[in-house]
Amino acid sequence: MTVVTTYLLPCLWAFLACLGFSIIFNMRGLSVWIACFGGALGWLVYLLCGSDIPAAFFAAIVIGVFSEFMARLRHCPVTGYVLISLLPLVPGGGIYRSMAFALAGDTSKFLSVLLNTLGIAAALAVGSMVSSSLFRTVYSSMQRAKEHRSQASRR
Amino acid sequence: MEYDVLLELAADMGCRLMTSGAEIYRVEESMQRILNAYGLSSAEVFAIPNCIIVSVTTPEGRSITRMRRIAAHGTDIELLERCNSLCRRLCTEVLPLPEARALLAEIPREERHFSLPVLLLGYGLAPMFFTAMFGGTLFDAVSAFLIGVVIGLLQFYGTRLLPANSFVRTAFCSAVASFLSPLFVHLGFGAHIDLISIGALMLLVPGVAITNAMREIMAGDTISAISQMSDALLCAVAIALGAAVGFSVGRML
Repeated sequence: MTVVTTYLLPCLWAFLACLGFSIIFNMRGLSVWIACFGGALGWLVYLLCGSDIPAAFFAAIVIGVFSEFMARLRHCPVTGYVLISLLPLVPGGGIYRSMAFALAGDTSKFLSVLLNTLGIAAALAVGSMVSSSLFRTVYSSMQRAKEHRSQASRR
Repeated sequence: MEYDVLLELAADMGCRLMTSGAEIYRVEESMQRILNAYGLSSAEVFAIPNCIIVSVTTPEGRSITRMRRIAAHGTDIELLERCNSLCRRLCTEVLPLPEARALLAEIPREERHFSLPVLLLGYGLAPMFFTAMFGGTLFDAVSAFLIGVVIGLLQFYGTRLLPANSFVRTAFCSAVASFLSPLFVHLGFGAHIDLISIGALMLLVPGVAITNAMREIMAGDTISAISQMSDALLCAVAIALGAAVGFSVGRML
């Protein structure tokens, strides 16, 4: 039961929230479900890794690899998948909480929440950057190996 | 060959891609590929978020340049996917220029948009489930849905009501959202002011700008990355400012 409420339900909510965003970004067809699944997957990884800065980093890596793979599979731009799948991880709560602490005059809490927010944003950025670059390198070398093999077999 | 028409085609394609929210490298690469496919190997393309410059030298030695100013735009994945597949098709089939231009002009006419009620449903669903995801109750989620619909209306009619820049519009939306959430809680609808506000603010948070900026850095377009990044920071400041105003007013209830 705890597994359902702590992991599965939040992921279902993340999926549905991404669905809302896919309407806003005018996404259609199968792409919608892929992007929403990516969002849920990312949130699951984030929860499993402990909901902190490293967790955001790993979630961004998983989302990046998943989106790049799906984009290659369907021959369509990766942009939409990454944009929508990363949205649940964007630290909106951090911006809000740091503002609330700033208003309350609690400088030390304000600074620590602000730094944490910036850290999560940076982790997302670096994570998605690393995963896409890695994926492209591995994928293109795999493609080259495949061509090489098919040429060799033709000979 | 009519190079003017070809250049116009490439510039139109770049313009469409850019307004659909494509990354800079995708815009540049698509234009370059089209020009190469039509036999112009010496094409130079330069794009930053609000401007595209294409310059080619024809085999006769004449050089032609086109510049396009890109207006402020949102994200439109449907337009992006359609332009991308047309670009792929042009590069493999090399259709005659008039036909290619007609196909490109067709895209905005063929493109489907969600009607306003469906769009507002999207604006409601996103905050509703973000609030649920962060641990809000059912009533919290429902009030986040209502606030999301209000933000959607503001975003949709906001360009007419508030003709100022996007900074002011974001700050205004954020102020409305963080004023409405204490109001709903005050009226006994929902229990967590912070969760409702955060869910609603997720609609305004610069997630797209941050992600895009990183993708620009990865592709080596530093100028575009810096401009997207400052966009994201300004947006975050606007949200915080607006939320501060709305929050203070809402607390007086």
